[in-house]
Amino acid sequence: MNIERLSEFKYRIPKEGKMLVDAAFYASENILEDLRAENYASLQQIRNVATLPGVVEPAVTMPDIHWGYGFPIGGVAAFDPEEGGVISPGGVGFDINCGVRLLVSGLSRAELGPNMDALADALYESVPSGVGKGRKDIRFGREALQEILREGAASLVKRGYGEPEDLRSIESGGRLSGADPGTVSDRAYGRGVSQLGTLGSGNHFLEVQYIDEIYHEEAARVFSLEVGQVTVLIHSGSRGLGHQVCQDHVELCMEAAKRYGIELVDRQLAAAPIKSPEGDSYLKAMSAAANFAFANRQLISHFTRQAFASAGLDSKGRRLKVLYDLAHNNAKFEEHNGRKVLVHREGATRAFGPGNSELSEKYRSVGQPVLVPGDMGRYSFVLAGTKGAMSETFGSCAHGAGRKMGRRQAKRTAKGRNLKRELKDKGILIRAASRATIDEEIPEAYKDAAEVVETTHGAGIGRKVARLRPLIVVKG
Amino acid sequence: MIRTLDHTADVGFEIGAPTLEALFDEARRALLVTMFERPPGKGEKEHQVRLRAPDLEILLVRWINELVFLIQSAGFVPVSSHLQLREISEEGFSFEARLGGAPLDLEGYGWQGEIKSATFHGLDVTHGSEGWRAQVILDV
Repeated sequence: MNIERLSEFKYRIPKEGKMLVDAAFYASENILEDLRAENYASLQQIRNVATLPGVVEPAVTMPDIHWGYGFPIGGVAAFDPEEGGVISPGGVGFDINCGVRLLVSGLSRAELGPNMDALADALYESVPSGVGKGRKDIRFGREALQEILREGAASLVKRGYGEPEDLRSIESGGRLSGADPGTVSDRAYGRGVSQLGTLGSGNHFLEVQYIDEIYHEEAARVFSLEVGQVTVLIHSGSRGLGHQVCQDHVELCMEAAKRYGIELVDRQLAAAPIKSPEGDSYLKAMSAAANFAFANRQLISHFTRQAFASAGLDSKGRRLKVLYDLAHNNAKFEEHNGRKVLVHREGATRAFGPGNSELSEKYRSVGQPVLVPGDMGRYSFVLAGTKGAMSETFGSCAHGAGRKMGRRQAKRTAKGRNLKRELKDKGILIRAASRATIDEEIPEAYKDAAEVVETTHGAGIGRKVARLRPLIVVKG
Repeated sequence: MIRTLDHTADVGFEIGAPTLEALFDEARRALLVTMFERPPGKGEKEHQVRLRAPDLEILLVRWINELVFLIQSAGFVPVSSHLQLREISEEGFSFEARLGGAPLDLEGYGWQGEIKSATFHGLDVTHGSEGWRAQVILDV
């Protein structure tokens, strides 16, 4: 593979073969070594993306790149609707609008100390996790669900699950416009109906943390972050409803690709022109699933607040506030370099920089908060969006640490160990639906998030603001 | 023949069998081995699945996704199957499966984690001198 180094952390893959544009990627020496070790399989995937019609230069990957199915994880690609640009359900992924939300409290780590066990139990009780776990206390009828698919988080706030102020701290206000519940299949409704307000399984989690380091004083002040402060990070998505929407539309777009003469180097990249009935239908269904995911994280936040209250940790002035809620997997119309394009992010975070008019006023001076979760034993990070991201990566940066072990390898590594005890010895309590989840999510299964964050910061596509250490982990 | 694949981000399996029906049944067994440490051997419940697809790859993905739905959403673990697969000229393939199943018991069967979907990435169903084979990557 032809790779050119452009700067310390940035590389270019020149257009060749069926590629329509150059590709680019960001890596440190260690990340580059990992890519070499897998024989550049993930970079081949971004080359495949660069063959899709209407793609705008460059097709790009973030420092947490790893092998996916279709798009690489960490892949970002923009498509111009006026140039025959496409939309690809496989490029958005199965967990539509999977994302993270950070809640910040008025509590210090010391205040939390004596209540840690009670809080861990209350959170595990209040937020169902694991496969097939639905909520028994709340059921939304078809009509209510349709409204949620149209209106996203706002629909939950209207019903009393949260505060109007929450909506100002969510990407796109917690709602993608243009959602049409009529494009969502009955099976998708069936899978979603009991799963609103649940974490799910796999790498989804809810984590209580504290801030142990501030890197950028001004941004930390704007975000109201200080050392010792307790935070809660929620990672979940659109659950079975989103998985089903993707399944339904990958097949429809595969058919459409044939009709529109779109050559697919990988069938999972199935795509339809943005300006086609099939593309339009997916965009409407994807937006509906995205709104379901925003609503899901809104409902989980509501029950997190309740759990804090039941553990005696909720009072005026200490109330959990939303710092930010952002998505990892979606496709959105945005303006970049004077063009309106549809930006696909598959395992990447929107990271709009200072001055962007889409950001709420409170964050406009320093850029939007960007949340980069790490593994459950080490740390996660808060970053801020930059102008560099706006000019180079369609306003995007990394979304996590990235796995380095397969699930089976992780389980083999965990065999015979008492991970609950190991984490407790480090001051971290864990509550999980199954031992399998803890084992496959052992800290060693992930790359060091700090490597990803240093590369992101060094490349100028994100700016380090604060580091968060885990205290309580709830997993599916 | 079942060979499980363990990739960093996803899991999957490679399967082989002398006939197409046997290949699709291997896909069911491979899915159970992927999802459970100790999949159940028998069950009293019954369920019927009917599918149509324009080609074998789409049929295989639909079959696996149907099984994932039955297990994770309906709590039905398919422990046995009688399959009938027919090629319909021009229209592709039609498929009928009578399944025997057991109720989902996460702890009892050693649950290994949720599966979001089968993918089309790297998927192909091929026929060679040793019979049929396929490779499937799952999003987990």
